[in-house]
Amino acid sequence: MSGIIIQSIVISGFYALIAIGFTMIFSVGRVLNLAYGVYIMLGGYVYYTVVQLAHLPKTVGFLCAILSGVIFAVITYVGLVRRLQNNPIAVEISTLILAVAMQAVMILIFTPAPRSIWPLIPGVAHLFGVSVLKNLLVAMIISWVVLVSLLIFVRKTRVGRAIRAVSMDRKGALVSGIDPNRINLVTWGLSGALGSIAGVFFATYTQLDPAMWVGPLITAVAVVIVGGIGSIMGSLVAAHIIGFLETITTTLITPQLRGVFTLLLIIIILVILPKGLFGREEI
Amino acid sequence: MKRSLIWWVICGAVLASLPIFTSTGTLRIFIFANFLAIFAMSWDILSGYTGYISFGHPFLIGIAGYTTAILTRHLGTPLYISMPFAILLTMVAGTLFFFPALRIRGTYFALVTLAFMEVTYHLLKIVKPAVTGGTRGLTGLPFVVTGAVPNYYLSLFVMLTVGIGLWVLAKSSIGTVLSAIRMDEGAVKSAGLNPTKFKLFAFTVSAMVAGIGGSFYTHYLGSISPRAMFDITFLFTILVAALVGGEHTIVGPILGAYFLTFLLEYLRPYIPGAWRFLLYSVIALVVYNFAPKGIYSIFQGLFDWVGRRMRRGEQYG
Amino acid sequence: MSNMGSLLELRNLTKTFGRLVALSDLSLTVQRGETLGLIGPNGSGKTTTFNLIMRELKQDEGEIFFEGKEITKYPIQERVKMGIARTYQIPRPFAEMTVAENIRVGIMPDKIISVMTMNIRDGLEREIGKSVGFKQHELSMYPSELSMGSLRRLELGRNMATNPKLLLLDEVFAGLTVGEIAELSELLKEKKKEGLTFIIVSHDLRSLGPLVDRVIVVSFGEVVAEGSFEEVIADEKVKEAYLGKEEDSHLELHK
Repeated sequence: MSGIIIQSIVISGFYALIAIGFTMIFSVGRVLNLAYGVYIMLGGYVYYTVVQLAHLPKTVGFLCAILSGVIFAVITYVGLVRRLQNNPIAVEISTLILAVAMQAVMILIFTPAPRSIWPLIPGVAHLFGVSVLKNLLVAMIISWVVLVSLLIFVRKTRVGRAIRAVSMDRKGALVSGIDPNRINLVTWGLSGALGSIAGVFFATYTQLDPAMWVGPLITAVAVVIVGGIGSIMGSLVAAHIIGFLETITTTLITPQLRGVFTLLLIIIILVILPKGLFGREEI
Repeated sequence: MKRSLIWWVICGAVLASLPIFTSTGTLRIFIFANFLAIFAMSWDILSGYTGYISFGHPFLIGIAGYTTAILTRHLGTPLYISMPFAILLTMVAGTLFFFPALRIRGTYFALVTLAFMEVTYHLLKIVKPAVTGGTRGLTGLPFVVTGAVPNYYLSLFVMLTVGIGLWVLAKSSIGTVLSAIRMDEGAVKSAGLNPTKFKLFAFTVSAMVAGIGGSFYTHYLGSISPRAMFDITFLFTILVAALVGGEHTIVGPILGAYFLTFLLEYLRPYIPGAWRFLLYSVIALVVYNFAPKGIYSIFQGLFDWVGRRMRRGEQYG
Repeated sequence: MSNMGSLLELRNLTKTFGRLVALSDLSLTVQRGETLGLIGPNGSGKTTTFNLIMRELKQDEGEIFFEGKEITKYPIQERVKMGIARTYQIPRPFAEMTVAENIRVGIMPDKIISVMTMNIRDGLEREIGKSVGFKQHELSMYPSELSMGSLRRLELGRNMATNPKLLLLDEVFAGLTVGEIAELSELLKEKKKEGLTFIIVSHDLRSLGPLVDRVIVVSFGEVVAEGSFEEVIADEKVKEAYLGKEEDSHLELHK
């Protein structure tokens, strides 16, 4: 029992990180960035290249991963999304196509075979009598650090508050002198950073695979739908619900049914509570 | 309307006469193109028209395929029962799972459909592998007809029937309402129409066509596997066919399907696997962003131009 | 039960957005056949009122009666079918459709079978189009080719196709030339003679004046004055609402 609880908590923190990057673009830009999973993928692959292929220190790998995510996100925004601002359908489709294109690129560079990355910190820790992968623990801790920093950033700094303003009311923000384009740029860059950080953890936790951008995207989607738009708190709560649901499923039933109950949860929420648990509005 | 019907007849006649002067190999390419056209059209009547982008058509097609596969393989059900049943099940299951998202907003719908596909892929690999065939899937399924030529005519027949049916539907006022939903769903409501009703209708039709395509396709291949059905690649192919061909036109997806299939075949010896994918993605991205009306509009432009030249000729001739 | 004979009655409507009170205990009645002007400074709650009447938003408290029936539970399209229609501050035409096609959407019944088999008399779209002032050749034009005046007329045409009893016009004179305003005013007067009831929101008081039978002034979500156009214009409270008191000129958020 305590095993499940500990596992769930650890996983959930990590899921929250994955989801936050995704929700940010949603809340602020009102667009669906299906290429979000690519930041995760890039994070993983870049880290792998720097650390395992070029044998540079892990911190460098981390930084390069983050940088790659940010750059890719910004290019996507400036080159693609900004031009298609008035056409959310086009953004949906274009980002999906982009994701598939990047998958092809990864296959070309790294071959389709999955690869394992050495964990950030090898070994197992013992928490309250339960063994937890140290790697995962680190992931959770860093996730929380990032999330709390994000919360502070969004509440206390000027840019952060501007982001909140645009997410609540774009026109109002415009009138207040905020430049939505610049804010969007910052948000996308942040999203890229968050995604790539999550990507490094995700890759060390599972495997590197050119198709790895889909899974986390689905998780992020689930967190958004269950938690609601525009609420970091909602994402945190939803991440934990989903984390618990999945851990219980994989431990008590079978590991391969992991996503199924999440999916059912999504449907139930959509039928009963379309705004999500904490959502401000239907997206 | 009547003039356009003539085009259908002409193209139908041309395509029907193909087996006379093409090889079996080429015919099989056309068969694949026909099926892709069916899938792309089923996508178009929903997503092209209403703007509710579905990433779940592989899911629908897969349900149909697996249902008829399981019924025929394990229960020996005859095709004329298993296939209609599969189609019905696709419509029911599709509505059950996707309707909650469909009635809200396009973004939700897109996300939910994507999620479903991914989960089903993993699910099929492990749930009751004795029934579903697990990762490898099922083989040795009965064929509707055997041989390249009969299958070609069958696929052509189904494709044209579906095509004309959907085209007539889309040209009717239903198409107008569906397009209006795409343009401004709120304004549709303030024009006194309930968009949910029409979305559901479009979805059901789309699911039915997907089911038809999925069943026939499975019994053409004689086998089915999770990778063939619930794959991003498959989704991608359908999407690109519809987009490159021309969204919300019904005819566009047919053109796009043929274009894509032949491009695939032509490039196959020259360009290895992953490069091809990169190429499609780039083509798709470029076409979608710069020529969003697709191949269909190019054809239309050509006809208009020819028509104008002819009329001008008459004037001065 | 509502006031017998009134077409629309709003009773104690309250709507808040977080801490901002958009409407506070607002009540008003509209009689059949009358043209009511709804005026007030920016942010006073006029558009919110329209949104509530149309059910684009739901009120926190209060009731809405149309033809004596309480309609809160009915969604937008049902209210349109009952006979309420509105235009928008920024027109919302179907961008890829011609004027005629836009009107056609308004004509269509809300039943799939009917729509499928529908054989709209081609003439009906033309008739409605002409009845709101479109010329024959304009009917096949696209919204991108139309002036603001024509766009507003397009919306009107689409609305008239739904056979409305009550028409809500939101800033319908905004962005129009003097000539277009005159044309539109004539059109509205005609429709009024045919028995249509109007609520018109407008900042253009000069254009509004000749059209309305009665005016209601709202400020900060409350009714502050009611009466004929001349009475209301002369009212001190109204002047205050628009120009603000000397000492107290910024927004006061309640609660």
